[in-house]
Formats: sequence, structure tokens, C-alpha cells
Amino acid sequence: MEDKSRISKAIQLIAQLSIDRASQVFSKMVKCGAKISLEKVYLTDITKATEEIAIEGGEVIGAYIDLVGDAPFKFLITFETNDSLLLTDLILQRPTGSTKELDALTQSAVQEVGNILASAISNVFSSDFQIKMKPSPPQVVHDFAATLFEEYISAIAAESNEILIIESQFMVVRHNLKCAMYILPLKGSDKTLSYICNTI
Amino acid sequence: MTMTDNVLIVGIADIKTGKAPFLIKTTLGSCIGVCLYHQEKKVGGMLHLMLASSEGIVRTGELKRAKFADTGIPDLIHELKVKHDADISGLSAKIFGGAKVLQGVTSDIGKNNEEAVRTILKQFGVKIIASKTGGEKGYQIEFDLDTGKVLCKIFGQEPVEL
Repeated sequence: MEDKSRISKAIQLIAQLSIDRASQVFSKMVKCGAKISLEKVYLTDITKATEEIAIEGGEVIGAYIDLVGDAPFKFLITFETNDSLLLTDLILQRPTGSTKELDALTQSAVQEVGNILASAISNVFSSDFQIKMKPSPPQVVHDFAATLFEEYISAIAAESNEILIIESQFMVVRHNLKCAMYILPLKGSDKTLSYICNTI
Repeated sequence: MTMTDNVLIVGIADIKTGKAPFLIKTTLGSCIGVCLYHQEKKVGGMLHLMLASSEGIVRTGELKRAKFADTGIPDLIHELKVKHDADISGLSAKIFGGAKVLQGVTSDIGKNNEEAVRTILKQFGVKIIASKTGGEKGYQIEFDLDTGKVLCKIFGQEPVEL
């Protein structure tokens, strides 16, 4: 296994490049200045990570996406419910506060953001590193934050005790939307990540 | 150990034990929460397991025993005995979780987990006196070590006490 800190750096680089591209697409979509920033990237123990999410509690709406190809990844984004309502208004370009409750439109909005981010990641892999990747259709789930996170990490539960967490923030003109973004390298991605490590 | 005002939070692949007046809390999806309680001593513990069996697992790093039913349940029983002098003969169990949150996933991890937990508890002679498992939504559970009761909230539903 490649040195963990080097792998983390490679994933952080991919996340940063992807987020920059996703920002441009997102700005076009909401027809105003939008920026997605990378707030924090860290490797942590799965028990500690879930304890913290369970303490914060609350419900979220999230989208799960599988990135299949030479470097298989699992990808999850989550928004707190209130933020997902605001996101819906911004994407539909209607006055903020119009979306009062979570509905099919909100689910579509989260799904769309998931698509944008996953496509951006795939594009970074193919254009910057010549690695073919394809995102699966997003699966949107509304549940407890800790439940979503638990299901997400179950993909590596058997083999690994650590997870790389990437926290990001969406800033759209006067609005701040918090979005937690997780990228999880799966079995089989080691070789590709080693290759990326050697190119940076 | 995570502790806030007499509340213990259990993460994934984790065990917490304590005595009254502590509360032990966790949130579950396909994982199973096993609550063991000793009524006389008012002590109990919770295991948050992810998978049924540790056998044949190819892993990186050390084995996190609380991740699996076959290693986590014996460890929970052992910790209750060693730390709190709670004999196995006085223990009863309540189990929660095992939901199928992600649709389109072919294997039913939650159901496999539940079956393994039931089998292992039976092998140890620990009786399951209450359970709430399955479904498609997450569970938040709160285990009161003063009463042994568990407040169980399934996402989108009213909480129930078991």
C-alpha cells in the first residue's frame, strides 16, 4: 500500500481540481457567481468519524455515486435539510424561501449537484491523468446524517479502519451552503493512486 | 471515550459500557446495535457492529473487533464482566437496526447482521427481550442504564420505547 499521506495528497489534489471545475459548471447553472471551496481534508478513524457525526445529529439529504473505472471510488455529498431547500431555489432561480419542504424538486437539485461534482471528478481523471472513469447515476437518500455516513463507509468496512474526509462549502453570491463531500478510494484504486502520486 | 453530560456516544465498530445514570446513544443503518443490560446492577453496554463475521476478511491494519458480530459480542460480554462485574447469567439483550437504506444493493447486509447476532447471543445463552429491525430508514437509539429501556426513533417516525 502506498504511503497514506501521499495517497491523501493525491486525493486532495483530485478533489481540488474537481471542485474548481464543478464551481464553473455550478456558476453557469445558477447564473450567478458561485464558488465551491475545499475547507478541510483529513484521514480519520471510522469510529471517531461516526461518533462526531452522531453527536452533531440532524438529518441530511445526500447523493451516493459510484465512480467506476481504473480507480474505483465511492462519492457522497450531503446537505442539511435547510441548505437543500435553499439549493433548490438557487438552481430553479426563484426567490430564496420559495421551497418550504423537501420534495421531488429538492431531491433533483441534490442529484444534479451530485452529477456535476462526480462528472468533474471523472473529467479530472481523464483529462489530467488519462484515467478512464465513469460515474453511476446518483442515488438520493434523506435520513439521519450518521446513517448516510454509515452506509457510505460500509463499502470499505471489511478491509479498512480509516476514511478520508473532504469538507467543502458552496458560496453562491450572498448565500453560504454547507456541503459535506466524501471521496473514498476502493480496492483496486491503489495502482492508479500510486501513478498519480508519482506525477505530482 | 466520548462523553457529554452522562451520555456516551457509540461510533461505528465500537463498544461502550457504563452504569446508571448514563445514557448510551448511537445511530444505525444496516449496522446492528446490541444493547446488553444487567437489571440488578443497573449496568449495560452497547455494541455497534457492521458485519456478521470476521472470518476470511482481508484487511489493512489491525482487526477492529467491534466491527464484527462474532468478535464484538464476546468482547461486549467480557467488558461488562471485567469492568462492571456483570455476570452473563444476569444479562438480557435488545437489538436494533439492520435496515436496507440503499436500494438496488443486492446483498442484504442488515439481515445477515441480524441473523448472526441472534445466533451468537443464543450461543452465549443471552435472551433477546426486545428488537426492532429491518426497514429502509435509519435508527437513532438511546439506551437508559437506569431503567434498561431503549428509546428507538426510526427516521420519519415517532419514537417508541422498548
